[in-house]
Formats: sequence, C-alpha cells, structure tokens
Amino acid sequence: MNSIEEKLWNYIDGSCTPEDERAIALLIEQDEVYRKKYNELVLLNAEFSAMELDEPPMAFTYNVMETIRAEHASKPLKAAIDQRIIKGIGLFFVFTISIILIVALSSIHWSAIFAGGSHTSSKLVLPDLRKLFTGPVMQGFLFIDVVLGLYMFDTYLRKKASAKANNSVQTSGQQKQQ
Amino acid sequence: MQSKLSDIELIEQTLAGDQSAYADLVKRHQRFVFTLAMRFAKTREDAEEIAQDCFIKAYRSLATFQRQSKFSTWLYSIVYTTAMTALRKKRVDTDSIDDENTFIQIENQTSGYDVNNVENKSRSYYLNQAIAQLLPDDATIITLFYNGEQSLEEIGQTMGMDPNTVKVKLFRARQRLKEKLERNLKGEVKELI
Repeated sequence: MNSIEEKLWNYIDGSCTPEDERAIALLIEQDEVYRKKYNELVLLNAEFSAMELDEPPMAFTYNVMETIRAEHASKPLKAAIDQRIIKGIGLFFVFTISIILIVALSSIHWSAIFAGGSHTSSKLVLPDLRKLFTGPVMQGFLFIDVVLGLYMFDTYLRKKASAKANNSVQTSGQQKQQ
Repeated sequence: MQSKLSDIELIEQTLAGDQSAYADLVKRHQRFVFTLAMRFAKTREDAEEIAQDCFIKAYRSLATFQRQSKFSTWLYSIVYTTAMTALRKKRVDTDSIDDENTFIQIENQTSGYDVNNVENKSRSYYLNQAIAQLLPDDATIITLFYNGEQSLEEIGQTMGMDPNTVKVKLFRARQRLKEKLERNLKGEVKELI
C-alpha cells in the first residue's frame, strides 16, 4: 500500500494512472491531511527544481581541449600507423603462404601415394627462383628499398618536428593561462 | 558565446575533425557534468578531475555514440560510471557517508554559523549541503531528475537501472533529502518549505 507521500509525489510528477490522478485530486480537495501534505510537497518540489548548478573553474573547457590536443600530439608512432597498412602486410603473408601451399600440393603425385603406399617419396618441384635474382633485378629491388626507407625516415622526422612545435605552443598557452 | 547548433550537429562536426565543435559541446554540458561529479567527490579539485576525465572519455568514444538516446543521457552515463570508479579507487566507504558519525562531522563543520545568520544564507546553500550528505546514488538521482531534467527512463539508462527502481529510489531520495534539510535547518526548515 502506498503512503500518502508516495501517492502525492506520483501525482506531482505525473507518473500515476489517470484513475489514480482523479482519485488523488479528489482527496486533495476534500481531505485536509492530503491538502496540507500536498502543499508542503509542492513547495519542496519547487525548491528542488530551483537548485543551482555548480560552476566549474573558468579554464575548464580550455583544460579539456588542451588534454585532448596533447593526447593527439603525443600519440606514439606505432599507434598512429594506419590499420590498412597492417591489414596489407597480413594479406601479403596470407597470399604468400597460400601460393606456397598451392605449389606444394600441386607438385605432389597423389596417385603414386594412394597406389604405392606410404613409402613412396614425392619430390617438391619449386620454380627456380635463382633465375629471378639476376643483377638488374636485385639492383632495382635495393633501389626501391632505399627510396622507401628514405621516404619513411623523412615522414618520421616531419612528425617529430610537428609534435615538438605543438608541445611548445601548448606550453606557452599554459603559461599564458597561469 | 555558445553555438546554437544541436548536440548531434556538433558531434558530426567533431567527428569530421573540427575540435572547436567539441569545445562548444563541453561548454554546453560542463556545468551539469561538474555538478554531477560534485555529488561523488569530496572536493572541487576531485570533481574537476572526474568531469575532465569524462569529457576526454566521451571524446575518445564519440564515434561509438549510437544516437538512439540523447547525447546528454549518454554523457551522464559516462559521468556516473567514471565517478563510481573514482569513488571506489579512493576507497571511500559509501555507506559511511550516510551514517550518524559522518552527519555529526558535517554538522560540526557548519556549526560555526550563527543561528541568526541562517536567514542570510541562500536556500540553495542549505539544499546543496543536504545533498552532500546523501548517498551518491540518491544525490545523483535527485540531480538528474531536477537539474538534468531527465525522465525516469533516461535516469534508468544512465544508472543502469529499471525505471520502476528509479521511481522508488527517487521517492526515498526525496524523503532522505527532506530529512537532512530538516535536521540541518532544525526549525528554519519550516520557513524554507
């Protein structure tokens, strides 16, 4: 059974059924105890609604945004690497392993194995890769490697320089704030 | 001057890389988030740390905001979880906040005020004082309902509770708040209500 106060709070909040609402409204009108309690709760409700919010420090937004900016600037290189690159490397390995497996499986003489039993040895026939690594191919390969290495080193230095510049801007900003 | 754009529009701009849009969101919600954090923290410094942490967490997971509920409801649920975690970390025994000893301690802190001076104190001062003596859950429900203008369903979402449980808890929280007010103000509460 609901107490008078609980019923009245539900009435004030508008969270009771229409039938209950009518019944409580009638009680407030006719019953002195209900009316007195209702008036008391309405006033209390008004007091609660007029509660003031606390004011954060002046630099609150600035501090939040600076923390976010600093977090972005100091993001480690390994965390900043594009996920597509990692997926690409993964795909390369999956592709390579699949090719090797296909070549290996296709070079097995299955009929000989099934006919001759387990003692039959099958020789793995791989393409002669030594032919591919001739002088010009190797030179080209090394040249691309060197170019890629230089490009990555340049990107790393640029990122480091921009992070340093950001940090110095933040430090001067904080000093100004203080 | 705060932006007139809606929360969702500001979120979209933030996700497109505009950090100033997020600064507008922070400005818009900082007072309430800070107030909510104050319900758990003992000092303004702790509350500021919690509130700041909440906005940073919200920024990090902004892309995961489903937009099925209001941004404020989503943000307040972050505040509630973060504040509860902070409270546990600080090993504050939440039960002790409501016990008799703590009340006496808080009462003694304010007993230096002249009784005749009571009238000069603002009503919100006494209300905030009484709220500070409530359990964090009670204070949060009261704050979300009255200051946050959240419905029982939204409060349930924020606090991970059923709306009916929230309704019961709100009723009890209001009763406790009234009791605290009466005890704090002794006879003066009659003037207040």
